[in-house]
Amino acid sequence: MLRRTARGLLPPLERPAFREGARKMVPLALPIAIWGLVTGAAMVALLSAPMALLMTVLVYAGSAQLATTPMLAAGAPLPVIWATSLVVNLRFVIFSAASRRAFARLPWYQKLLAGYLNGDLGFAIFSQRFAGATEHGNPEQWGFFYGLALGNWASWQVGSVVGILLGNFVPTEWGLGLASYLALLAVLIPMLRTRPAAAGTLVATGVAVTTTHLPLRTGLLLAVVAGVGVALLVEHWAERRAALRPNPTEVAA
Amino acid sequence: MSPSTWYLVGGIVGLTVTVFATRSGFYLLPARLELPHWAERVLRYAPGCALAGVIAPALLNKGGTPSLTWNNHELLAALVAGTVFVKWRNMMGMITIGLLVFTALRWWA
Repeated sequence: MLRRTARGLLPPLERPAFREGARKMVPLALPIAIWGLVTGAAMVALLSAPMALLMTVLVYAGSAQLATTPMLAAGAPLPVIWATSLVVNLRFVIFSAASRRAFARLPWYQKLLAGYLNGDLGFAIFSQRFAGATEHGNPEQWGFFYGLALGNWASWQVGSVVGILLGNFVPTEWGLGLASYLALLAVLIPMLRTRPAAAGTLVATGVAVTTTHLPLRTGLLLAVVAGVGVALLVEHWAERRAALRPNPTEVAA
Repeated sequence: MSPSTWYLVGGIVGLTVTVFATRSGFYLLPARLELPHWAERVLRYAPGCALAGVIAPALLNKGGTPSLTWNNHELLAALVAGTVFVKWRNMMGMITIGLLVFTALRWWA
């Protein structure tokens, strides 16, 4: 019965592709587990172990967990906490939009699960692997995706649970809290390839560090608004310059 | 006063909904619904800004204000770790070296 339900949640998977995806995860399993471990330890420093366990199993989003755990522990209004999580998770909307064709034919509950499992590293590897594919959504792609995604999920959860159970025994001076932010830095750095992105992120950084005194983490929202504004301006200027360069007599609209 | 269990459970369930909304949202929308152009542009930059907004106060601030001095061990460790990551694209190496630098600074600086 349970097995049937589990099967129903997954689309047909091609075995060799599943193994290929899982193998891709092998070298990443340890870093992901450690990332989970430090996030788990950071959570259990502020929340009780059962709550931290519930959070890691249900939420499965390291950056959002790190951002919202202090808010939950401080008893901030829930809508503000949820809004913060939405903002921090915006990058997944891009993943979701970019990979939707691969899951378009599946029933809604399979889509829900596929999206939930589509984290940072898995998405990057999946899009790289099928970048030139002409067909979207077949057992080969689903197999590869679930090999990656389930490997990612398992590594993360094992690390998280260990971090939650051991968290209270690890002295804070070891800097495990720092490690969780370093892991996020590894997600951020590849996003800084273009000039508008770098400029916007710099501004967001400046706003974020100078507005921590504002209540309810409104500083984070301000940082995103200011950063995106500046990035769009820089992009706009670059486009205008590019439009003007080849033919100076033609005025850009 | 620590938050009640119901507040925490409700908060965590709501967070789960936000994760499903962002990760699975587009899978569930009809295929003809595309992101409007302006949203696509905003989404190009918002994720980096949001991550920076989470990371920066943790690494740059000491006791609520920015601290750009040699006493900010987190910042120094993050700078070294970031350089390592840019050079070798290795998350594990980055975290390991970052923590080693942090520990070394704490002992000797």
